[in-house]
Amino acid sequence: MSGPGNIVDLIEAGIKAESLRQKAISNNVANLETPGYRRVDIRFEELLAKYLSSSGDVDLSEIEPEIYQPKQTPVKSNGNDVNFEVEVGQMIKNVIRHKALVRLLSKKYSQMDLAMGPK
Amino acid sequence: MEVNNSFGPIDITISGLRAQGKQMEVISSNVANARTVDAGNGEPYRRLEAVFKSDGEMGGVELDKIVPDMSDFLEVLDPGNPLADERGYVAMPNVNLPLEMMNLNIASRVYQANAAVLKRYQQMIETTLELLR
Repeated sequence: MSGPGNIVDLIEAGIKAESLRQKAISNNVANLETPGYRRVDIRFEELLAKYLSSSGDVDLSEIEPEIYQPKQTPVKSNGNDVNFEVEVGQMIKNVIRHKALVRLLSKKYSQMDLAMGPK
Repeated sequence: MEVNNSFGPIDITISGLRAQGKQMEVISSNVANARTVDAGNGEPYRRLEAVFKSDGEMGGVELDKIVPDMSDFLEVLDPGNPLADERGYVAMPNVNLPLEMMNLNIASRVYQANAAVLKRYQQMIETTLELLR
């Protein structure tokens, strides 16, 4: 179904990705001093953008958030590349995105409520 | 590090926090080795200095390199020391503790400043999100 249902689906997919990212961040922080651990991140927005720019209908169930190791932060002497400050920054961004999506969702529902008219 | 519009300030302040973390590492190495007579290369420990550079235009800060301080070693008269030269002097690291303490203060203040900017920006975003209620 396109239209309002699609928006709810999109927001739901985003919230799912954000919860998974929060999990990844907690995992990274838990492994702050684990020798040899490389930090993990979630790839979702890029995949979604690619799907949305491609023609035809988008089946959101096909887009699964992907776990990957960015390997971009410098590796410490124990082979670990988790940086606490980076994780805090990621968490703040994640919280902001999550809040925005949840508020959009509640706005959408109150819009539907309005459309259903006085009870 | 890539910076995208609305999360830019977050990435920049985080780069500031990381840079000051590195600076702290360098300072702690200098303080820990303030009396290290042998750094493994036949010389006393040489004080290190972190050099930062800005990461492109508005891309935050990053550690450029850590360079040794080439100023003269401190000569201490200690004839009983097995490492003393024929005049009785021992070469000591060129670490200047009061200077390190000053740098430590600056580093922790700059860290706090970055954290304050981050917090304030977070509040700004919250204000925008309030409009969505």
